[in-house]
Amino acid sequence: MSHHPPQPGSNLKMGLPIPNSKLGLWLFLGTEIMFFTAFIGSYIVLRIGSKGWPISPEVTHINVLLGGINTFVLILSSYFVVVAHEAMAKKNFERARMYLIGTFALGLVFMGIKSVEYFGKYQHDILPGHVAENDSQAANKAVNEFDLAVEKTGYNDLKLEIAALELEVAQAEEGKKAALEEQLSASKAAFAELGPFADAVKSLKDQVYAETIDFAAMSKRVEELKAEFPEKAAGVHEPHVILYGNIFASIYFLMTGFHAIHVIVGLILFAAVLKQGSNLDEKWTDWVENSGLYWHFVDLVWIFLFPLLYIV
Amino acid sequence: MAYRDTGHGEHAHHDVKYIAVFIALCILTGISVLADVVEGLPYAIKVVLVLSISTAKALCVMLFFMHLKFEGAWKYILLAPTTILAIGLPIALMPDVATRYYISAVPQDVDYEEAMAHHPDSHGSANEHDTEHPEGQPGEAHAPHAGESGNADTPPTPEAKE
Repeated sequence: MSHHPPQPGSNLKMGLPIPNSKLGLWLFLGTEIMFFTAFIGSYIVLRIGSKGWPISPEVTHINVLLGGINTFVLILSSYFVVVAHEAMAKKNFERARMYLIGTFALGLVFMGIKSVEYFGKYQHDILPGHVAENDSQAANKAVNEFDLAVEKTGYNDLKLEIAALELEVAQAEEGKKAALEEQLSASKAAFAELGPFADAVKSLKDQVYAETIDFAAMSKRVEELKAEFPEKAAGVHEPHVILYGNIFASIYFLMTGFHAIHVIVGLILFAAVLKQGSNLDEKWTDWVENSGLYWHFVDLVWIFLFPLLYIV
Repeated sequence: MAYRDTGHGEHAHHDVKYIAVFIALCILTGISVLADVVEGLPYAIKVVLVLSISTAKALCVMLFFMHLKFEGAWKYILLAPTTILAIGLPIALMPDVATRYYISAVPQDVDYEEAMAHHPDSHGSANEHDTEHPEGQPGEAHAPHAGESGNADTPPTPEAKE
């Protein structure tokens, strides 16, 4: 506390020599540090507690180059923010605006690359709870996906429809019989067309359930079926065993997902400044400094996530 | 406490060569990527190297981009509690999960041990790692491609990674 209360008109003020908004932002960043270290700490602890971990890029489809490029993108955007803030302080608002546009664009690039990576994970079904961790899980997963694919073709519905139609034909009056029979034969033709796929799936399923097929043969059969029925079997993934793959996917998506949310929030903060267009003035200097601090923190988190998830 | 109110923007005028910080950050990132791409680098060294680089990069960003180097002593008061709590959490979790104080039968661990018993050769660097940690902290060990079959299709070779 001050021993000499400030005199009116003097330039003494109480509190810290920084704007309140900046103090607030730093306090917020303090909570953010704990938020992310909770994730990183859990990851380290879970990983040390696991006997193994999937790290081969052939298995996890983690691309260190994409991660590296994204690291560079965030670092460059951080540099742009710092230059923008410097320009704001020097009242060079047009220069600040240009650099902020650059930051915003780089944020979008980061999200674009992240989307490519997420899409790859989705395509290979490396999603929490979806990963087969041993051969029998992989076989069961393939069978389940094939069952869904058969269901999707309408095979099972047609089967019921044909049974119902046959009953109707048998009970129908002479006049209506011809129309019903025509309908029945159309359904039967459609059913026959779906038959080969459904039969192939059933045969694979029987083998898997009877355990008369090993992983390599099952894998090969799935590939053959996908090649033979490209449209019908489109939803079936190639069997892919990743031991510890589910916890890996959980951690990957939890950490990169929360980081991506932070990037989006940062983009909104910069969008608010850019919305001012050429009317940008010194009223926005604190805003730019504070959102810049937040953006650097987002960069900081990525600096740790990149080696932890992509390299180590 | 009372301070001279020097107005806003004072902290923005330090003579920091931001471009130099930026170039340093890029070079450090490049070394991290190289450490992963280059073959033959021992795993333990790689881990220590990339995590040290990250710490160096984080310090660069905090000191210069976030201006912490030029801020008043409030930065210590503000950041000390969060730092202590952030470090404390993993340490508090460590005994339960990481050091296996409790005996747990995790199915993945059973599969892993079995795979290691069947294919000890295909996980050379995992074994190498184990010798570095005789207490058996196999956290960074390479997960095998589980099961006895199917390895021909998707080789789990750790060699491909390093």
